Amino acid sequence: MTSLVSAQGVSKRFGSICAVDNVSFEIEKGRILGLIGLNGAGKTTLLKALLGLTDCEGQLSVLGLDPFRQRKELMQNICFIADVAVLPRWIKVTQLLDFVAATHPKFSRKHADELLAKTKVRPGAKVRELSKGMVAQLHLSIIMSIDARLLVLDEPTLGLDIIFRKEFYDHLLNDYFNEERTILITTHQVEEIENLLTDIMFINDGRIILDSSMDDIAGKYVELLASGEGAAAAREFGPIYEREVFGKQVMLFEGVAREQLEGLGEFHMPSIADLFVAKVKGAVA
Amino acid sequence: MIDRQIALLKRELWEHRSIYITPLAIASIVTLGVLAMLVFASGYAEELDLAIFGAANIVGDPARSAALTGFFLGTSWIFLIALAILTVFYCLDSLYAERKDKSILFWRSMPVTDAETVVAKLITALVVIPLAATIGIIATNLVNLIVTSVWVSMKGGDAGLLIWGSVPLFDNWLAAFMVVLASGIWMSPFIGWFLFVSAYAKRFPLLMAFMPLILIALLEKIILKTHIFAEVVFGRGNGMPLFRAVDIDRFFGEEQWRVTQDAASLLVHLDIVKFLTSPSLWGGVIVCGLLSTAAIYVRRYRSEG
Repeated sequence: MTSLVSAQGVSKRFGSICAVDNVSFEIEKGRILGLIGLNGAGKTTLLKALLGLTDCEGQLSVLGLDPFRQRKELMQNICFIADVAVLPRWIKVTQLLDFVAATHPKFSRKHADELLAKTKVRPGAKVRELSKGMVAQLHLSIIMSIDARLLVLDEPTLGLDIIFRKEFYDHLLNDYFNEERTILITTHQVEEIENLLTDIMFINDGRIILDSSMDDIAGKYVELLASGEGAAAAREFGPIYEREVFGKQVMLFEGVAREQLEGLGEFHMPSIADLFVAKVKGAVA
Repeated sequence: MIDRQIALLKRELWEHRSIYITPLAIASIVTLGVLAMLVFASGYAEELDLAIFGAANIVGDPARSAALTGFFLGTSWIFLIALAILTVFYCLDSLYAERKDKSILFWRSMPVTDAETVVAKLITALVVIPLAATIGIIATNLVNLIVTSVWVSMKGGDAGLLIWGSVPLFDNWLAAFMVVLASGIWMSPFIGWFLFVSAYAKRFPLLMAFMPLILIALLEKIILKTHIFAEVVFGRGNGMPLFRAVDIDRFFGEEQWRVTQDAASLLVHLDIVKFLTSPSLWGGVIVCGLLSTAAIYVRRYRSEG
């Protein structure tokens, strides 16, 4: 498989603050990668570097291009939604579509019109007259009408209600994603996207603390619900995180075989949120 | 390439509607003013003898032509002032507003370079706004001449001969366009500076644009006791080398009437060769180029995060 994105020792400093610290990873074609991190962890900075919006140290290649120096070429094959608020508020929907049609060689105006016809977004309306949800629909309709190889979504559903959020991801998965396309998503509402991800990456203090496929997560991590002696015995295997729920211990293990923990309690598949907390707290400790 | 640049220019017109609304508003105000003036003049028809707009006993054709050109100038100068104000505010807003409302993230998600974007803004300031002002000037002149023709006809004069046959319309319109266009190019160092400030300022771009200029001039005066900077910067507006020298003594002397007659065509007063061979013009264009390049650089390298 060829790497769509390749980062080797990528760093970005703002004065004395190191927002992204010597990060290395690869993203393959046809994957949906979730980039998860706390506020200020370096997610957005890393995305900006990938999108050529900021320069960085190290080797960074996106679609075989240097994103900062070849941004124009890159943007023909990349789409991104920074968050729902970035469409200019003064513009009319038709003007926006005209602009994208004139500047983006891979945009299909017909497809965008068809997608928008299914929504309540009026072509003559200004963006400022639309609800947050409609703005997101508009932006998504534009993005989905661009034949891009990589789609980057930075908190795309921030501030939207649950119905819009669900529709957003349904559209993305059913109408847009295919094996030729790759999607990179960051969000705080991780539980909403964990079922669509094929890969996951955690970032904390500018460093990547987990980079794995979702299939590998199931084999590598196990959550055990135990109490009393079972909990004490399980603790011997060195859980990476432990918390108490209704008087029982919930322990998360990394690289410990289920057979070794058999009989000590109930097994669960750890959620991404639990795994994230465990890894971040582990990183802090 | 051209399509993309046209799309970028259209974006400027969509975003900054004042570019065409301002000339429209001024044209309306000036026309109303002319109407009011004619209504007012009607009350004194006998006393004034209506010499200016073509009553039958007017002094002569050249004088009438000069008077009509004077009328054209009188209704056009306000466009020049509006053009200057509009250009200042447009430039200061052009790279600032998109950062303020974060829409820069959308614009930069399109395959358009920062240079193409800034060049579109430069073309808007140097060509599109002057063009809009010229269209405003011509439209105002046409409407006002029509209004005046109706008025003259009502007074029993032959408007076709007295108004339309007397005024060198195209000469004057071309001259107006040249003055408006040349003013933008002559003042282009300011346009470059305002674009740079617009790309750079975190807030209060208007203040950020003028404060340094005033401070430098003040410091120079206090410390060096000279005022070269103030003369070069604030005095530039007065020094556009486009106009032929006017002999002030002659103008206010006995030959005033003849000078006025010469003024029938405004083109006569423009010296394009003098303008285009002025080192100060090209120096200004280079400063504008450098500052615009700096604006591109700032838009490209600024990390908002």
